[in-house]
Amino acid sequence: MNNDTIINTVKLTKYYGKQKGIEEVDLQVQRGEVFGYLGPNGAGKTTTIRTILDFIRPTRGSTTVFDLDTRQHSVEIHRRVGYLNGELALYNDMTGEDLLKYLGNLRGGLDWKYVKDLAARFQCDLPRRIQGLSLGNKQKLGLLQAFMHKPELLILDEPTNGLDPLMQHEFYDLLNETKKAGRTIFLSSHVLPEVEKVCDRVGIIRQGKVVAVETIETLKSHSIRQLEIHFARVVPKEKFSNLPGVRDINVQNNILTCTVVGSLDALVKASAQFEVVNIISHEPSLEDIFMTYYNEGKNNVK
Amino acid sequence: MLNNVFLKTLRDQQRSLLYWALYLIAIAVVMALFYPTISKMTAFNQYLSQLPASVKEMFGAGVVDYTSPVGYFSTELFSFMVPLLLLVFGIGFGANAIAGDEEKGTLGFLLANPVPRWRVVADKFGVLVVSMILLGLFFWGGLAIAASSMHIDISILKLGEATLGSVLLALVFAALAFMAGCIKGSKSTSMGVASGVGVLTYLLNTLGGMVGWLKGYRFLSPFYHYMEPNTLQNGLSPVHILVLAGLVVVFFIISIPAFTRRDIGQ
Repeated sequence: MNNDTIINTVKLTKYYGKQKGIEEVDLQVQRGEVFGYLGPNGAGKTTTIRTILDFIRPTRGSTTVFDLDTRQHSVEIHRRVGYLNGELALYNDMTGEDLLKYLGNLRGGLDWKYVKDLAARFQCDLPRRIQGLSLGNKQKLGLLQAFMHKPELLILDEPTNGLDPLMQHEFYDLLNETKKAGRTIFLSSHVLPEVEKVCDRVGIIRQGKVVAVETIETLKSHSIRQLEIHFARVVPKEKFSNLPGVRDINVQNNILTCTVVGSLDALVKASAQFEVVNIISHEPSLEDIFMTYYNEGKNNVK
Repeated sequence: MLNNVFLKTLRDQQRSLLYWALYLIAIAVVMALFYPTISKMTAFNQYLSQLPASVKEMFGAGVVDYTSPVGYFSTELFSFMVPLLLLVFGIGFGANAIAGDEEKGTLGFLLANPVPRWRVVADKFGVLVVSMILLGLFFWGGLAIAASSMHIDISILKLGEATLGSVLLALVFAALAFMAGCIKGSKSTSMGVASGVGVLTYLLNTLGGMVGWLKGYRFLSPFYHYMEPNTLQNGLSPVHILVLAGLVVVFFIISIPAFTRRDIGQ
């Protein structure tokens, strides 16, 4: 494995008793990329992350981070990693400032000026006790402690949980800066648009198995959308049949609904012949993507 | 400055330690204040001396002369009350140290830092031992000051030895709760196991004093090693102390691989 592979899991498998956790997960995360780990809740994202961090031990398979085996060198790996838990639990009886200082001390000291800058960017109320903080404010503290020691690798489990849109934006900016500095980010999410916005590559996990690893461009070219087009007058259905990538066409009076895979170009051009009043686009759920896109090869959906 | 898990755990414990220390000191002072009244009740002593030996056993070993300072403090403080209070504190702390933090989710958060797991176990166990010793010292201090200011004729040193015995006894069960938490990660299970073993071994020792066939098994009970030497009268017995301290060490040693090898819960 070359130096630029930061995380490498090899047939990583974890069973909990009879229950399946993850099965044969092979992931390679390269230096300097933002890698999204996408899947519905309960698919095994957190299990994968907790195995990489050596909180839980794989039933089979292995993982290296920075070319170090996670079982043998977890302390060294933790030194170089910033981690945000999915279900964030902080020491409630501390203030944010005390917490960050304590964690900083465990890491042998911090650039406190940088921490202050980060806190200002995320509008963190550091002198307040964590107990009284809202979910979003706790999440910001969680992000701060993950980023504050400028780690080479960030492992973030559902990082935007509870963040308002403004803070999400700030977080995306921080991700970009981190990436530009040549550091690596592995983040999990169950929200497709978020992953599309910030990631270079995406691994999709479903029921414990990684079903695809794609670049964002590929993912987008396969992206599916439910569209609803309102016309000024009744439109003939024939004009829309046999358009590439358009399926499930249904016309009721002056409203057309359909599913589009990939480019919208053909549909938009066909619609332009008529007077368009409104276009409504529904983001597909992850489950829709799995059902439509990944089963396509098997049974040629419609 | 909080720069390790030991100091952080001690910090989390400070308020609880303060209340427990005040509580123990209050008990020591109140018990000492009552002594002059008790010492005049010689009739009570006659009544006690007529009790069958097996009933005396239930009161603890020090009932030879209840109205003497040694008899009074042995019975009222060291045969039951002080070890029980220290046990409650110790089991609570022991179960909370690893398993409690694990259930709250803060343990996973801590372990993401460059701190080896064995170090977390060692630091938390260290705070457990230090806390129990501190409580013992506060209790002993309170009792010593109260007893001497009331001119009660009792050895301050022996009071300290008896307190140390109680601390060690409680540490055995606290360490058991701690170890159970390291093995299983459940606070309630740890408390249940340690309290259950505590009750059973307590019964084993007291019943063993009365029931013939049980007598041979009393040595299995930590309470036997605590009660048998009658420390307030005779001072600490090295053999029994070693048994109790040995158990604490063994539980600690098992805790480390138990915790470093297993999966950490949410």
